[in-house]
Amino acid sequence: MAFLSPENQSDIKKIFADLSGDVRLLFFTQRDSPLIIPGREDCPTCKDTRALLEEVVALSDKLHLEIHEVSPDSEIAREHGIDRVPALIMMADGVKGKVRYFGLPSGYEFSVLLGSLLDVSKAEADLSEDTIEVLNALDKDLHFQVFVTPT
Amino acid sequence: MARLAHKMAIANSHIVADVVEVSEFPDLAQRYMVRGVPKTVINDSVDFLGNVPEATFVEHIQRAASLDVT
Repeated sequence: MAFLSPENQSDIKKIFADLSGDVRLLFFTQRDSPLIIPGREDCPTCKDTRALLEEVVALSDKLHLEIHEVSPDSEIAREHGIDRVPALIMMADGVKGKVRYFGLPSGYEFSVLLGSLLDVSKAEADLSEDTIEVLNALDKDLHFQVFVTPT
Repeated sequence: MARLAHKMAIANSHIVADVVEVSEFPDLAQRYMVRGVPKTVINDSVDFLGNVPEATFVEHIQRAASLDVT
């Protein structure tokens, strides 16, 4: 099943015309297993998230999807501090911190995904000078978690 | 809020910005007592509800940075 209708696709392509630099999308998903193992946490949205991202990256040659099927002890997951799936890290030259998304970006949050892809691609955040100044003065690590729900 | 948090991470190497679909992670909803969205948590020490202007977000960041002793 396609998530994006032909109309969606053409709208998104117009938005993606503003992409500047290449973006790496590191996607972490559950390792597919034909077996149901008791106690193993299932990831009901992993497949849909992967399918959606595959449709999205197909709309621009600046977007590069890297899929990592992980288990909780995978080295690549640990390296990136990923302790749950589905997880997405958006990376590009010039991006300083970590831009991550956990879960399936549906409804309104899909537009957040598109917006953040553009921002990451530009590696430029149109923040006020005051904000930049405060952030630059920080000498400790900060972890933001913004909890959202699909609408 | 989600996009603003991401922008701040783009601009600063000290920041990890996570946007989390909370309905998919009930353990986090419970742990952070998420009863409304968007809810933003900074370093487990400061949280606020709703969409706030950039300057207010920055104030919360400063508060979290000053509370955080690690």
